Amino acid sequence: MLKIEHLTKIYGDKKAVDDLSLHIRPGEIYGFIGHNGAGKTTTIKACCGILQQEEGDIWIDGVSIREDPLGCKAKLAYIPDNPDLYEFMTGIQFLNFVADIFGVSAEDRRERIRKYADAFELTGDLAQPTSAYSHGMKQKLAVISALIHQPRLVIMDEPFVGLDPKASHLLKGIMRDICDGGGAIFFSTHVLEVAEKLCDKVAIIKNGKLIKSGTMEEVKGDTSLEDVFLELEGEAEC
Amino acid sequence: MLKALFKKQLMEVNSWLIQNKKSGKHRSRGGMLLYALLYAVIFVGLGAVFYFVGASLCAPLVSAGLGWLYFAMMSLMALLLGVFGSVFSTYATLYQAKDNTFLLSMPIPPRAILEVRLFAVWMWGLIYEAIVFIPALVVYWQNAAELGCLSAAAVVLDVLLLLVLSVLVLTLTCALGWVVARISSRLKNKSVAAVLASLLFLAGYYYVYFRASAILQHVLQNAGAIGESIRGAAVPIYWMGRAGEGDLLSMLFFGLLVLALFALACWILSRSFLKMATTNRGAAKRTYRESAARQRSAAGALLFKERSRFFASATYMLNCGLGTLMLVVLGILALVKGPWLRDLMAETGFSGAPLALMACAVLCVMTAMNDISAPSVSLEGKNLWLVQVLPVSAWQVLQAKLKLHLLMTEVPTLFCAVCMAIALRPGVFFSIMLAAVPMLFVLFSACFGLTVNLKTPNLKWSDETVPVKQSMGVMLSMFGGWALVAAMCMLYLLLNKYLSPELYLLCVAAAVAAACAGLLLWLKNRGARIFREL
Repeated sequence: MLKIEHLTKIYGDKKAVDDLSLHIRPGEIYGFIGHNGAGKTTTIKACCGILQQEEGDIWIDGVSIREDPLGCKAKLAYIPDNPDLYEFMTGIQFLNFVADIFGVSAEDRRERIRKYADAFELTGDLAQPTSAYSHGMKQKLAVISALIHQPRLVIMDEPFVGLDPKASHLLKGIMRDICDGGGAIFFSTHVLEVAEKLCDKVAIIKNGKLIKSGTMEEVKGDTSLEDVFLELEGEAEC
Repeated sequence: MLKALFKKQLMEVNSWLIQNKKSGKHRSRGGMLLYALLYAVIFVGLGAVFYFVGASLCAPLVSAGLGWLYFAMMSLMALLLGVFGSVFSTYATLYQAKDNTFLLSMPIPPRAILEVRLFAVWMWGLIYEAIVFIPALVVYWQNAAELGCLSAAAVVLDVLLLLVLSVLVLTLTCALGWVVARISSRLKNKSVAAVLASLLFLAGYYYVYFRASAILQHVLQNAGAIGESIRGAAVPIYWMGRAGEGDLLSMLFFGLLVLALFALACWILSRSFLKMATTNRGAAKRTYRESAARQRSAAGALLFKERSRFFASATYMLNCGLGTLMLVVLGILALVKGPWLRDLMAETGFSGAPLALMACAVLCVMTAMNDISAPSVSLEGKNLWLVQVLPVSAWQVLQAKLKLHLLMTEVPTLFCAVCMAIALRPGVFFSIMLAAVPMLFVLFSACFGLTVNLKTPNLKWSDETVPVKQSMGVMLSMFGGWALVAAMCMLYLLLNKYLSPELYLLCVAAAVAAACAGLLLWLKNRGARIFREL
């Protein structure tokens, strides 16, 4: 579903991502962990077509993001860590805007908005401008907008930050449902317990380089993901 | 503790000079000096205006024994400028300051926070008041000295009056600021209301500006009667004027009245400060009711986004879209004043082709007042990721920005051109060109503004006035447009011996169309690539 091959992204003279390769198959929830500034967000933004890489390529469902960026973007959804939404729109206007861009029919969008807004308890606030939303509400709106076109791949940057426990639980369920339906999830997180419980596979990145990846069992073995992560961080520092 | 708070507040007040609002960085010493000099020039320029207003009033009133009326009038002007200059920032400074929570979490009595905030409001009010009052004092001292009636006591009381008036400005600002904030927090269409209020203010300003001379004449001719009615109906204003003339008793009465009002305001503020500083009433909540959504195309959705952004911001509308209104007003004026204009032109012998050319130039100047596309890329700001992640091409996004500019300008331009054609009756050819040339010019302005903005984008603003008012694109788009029209007029004056007006207009239309084609091609290819890589 998402194939990253030898991705390299350079800022000035610093390699933010260095020859990173990952392969995320349909049905997988893939966690992406690393310290602050490790290159997670850069990798994610490159996968979404926001940043253009110097080397390597990214394929979404077999389509190269270099060759057909719009085709790739039509298949994926992105939820950033800090969703800066259009503050001059109301919640419902924003959802309709996204639905229009993806060409979601009026009937389908109404059904999906009702389903997800009710689930995230946001229906009552949809007529409010997003400038009046709290961080958590913006995050919920971003999640709903990401789901409105039923994407095959959902890429999320720290999706649980700002969400209340109920919304977090709901989002985890939705993530699993997407994968059960043949989609895939690629998300970054600092919460290792969440990654350990939720992910089928995990990748650890440090200073732009992939230092370990595989199934959860392959990466952590008998210990916890936290122990492995701290050990790898220590090793890399030595 | 109070000293530290005052120091912090002074730093906040001085930040306009020290900090560059565009970059957030501190200015260099040279930059600070230049900035301070610029503001000094503006203040001195404004002061000069009030100096001349004062000069026209002072001598006749003082010599008629109505020096108090001079002071009363100038003090009222100073009050007006002081209050309106600072009222809109008062609520934000007093109650909505970003560091309220931080300061309240520390062992600082709320009263001390209020005192420091009031100090900041007072300072701004004093600055605005001084623009009117200091020149008024200078004029009075000059005149009184010439007439030999200037005493040391009067000078001391005048300076005291400046300070007492500043306290009155503070009191009125606090009261009005509270009202403004209460109204604006409950308004549903805040931006539209702000635009209407600004337009009304502008209309009022220009009305007073154009009538100023007549008003002053009226005051001077009826000074005695006006003075009597003020003494009878508004004694505090009389005290205020007499205090300026150096009457100690009047100063005492006026000072006590101002202090009493200020004490009342402080008492109310100290009782409500904590509650207001910690409560966010927010806007009236709208209830969501599910309705049938209208499905748009991607291009339609992008245009809707641009339109929503434009109509949600009073700053954007006022600074970049005023031309729309002006074109409609000009069109209506042309219709209403058409016969008068035709008679005038017939009398002066200025008609036919030159008149049509001039009308064309006026229309182009008006259309250049709209520079909606010029800050549109910068206005994406932190939201840029959204259009980058959605399955739309950069060219589609840029097209939506151009379309909004064209929609908001082409329609009123056509309306105005039709009205002008009806009013001036320039013949079929010129009637067509009167619409065609300005409409092509609108397309050129839209493309040019967008091009400049793509070359000089600023996505890291925290206040939208930075891209809307202070960006290169906006400046070049508006002033460049005017300069271009001026250049085209100059060119006609040079070439009119060789080219007929008809041929000249056709050449201009062809040149503008070619420039539009070039810019559109650049925007579609290079411009779109720049936008993708922002």
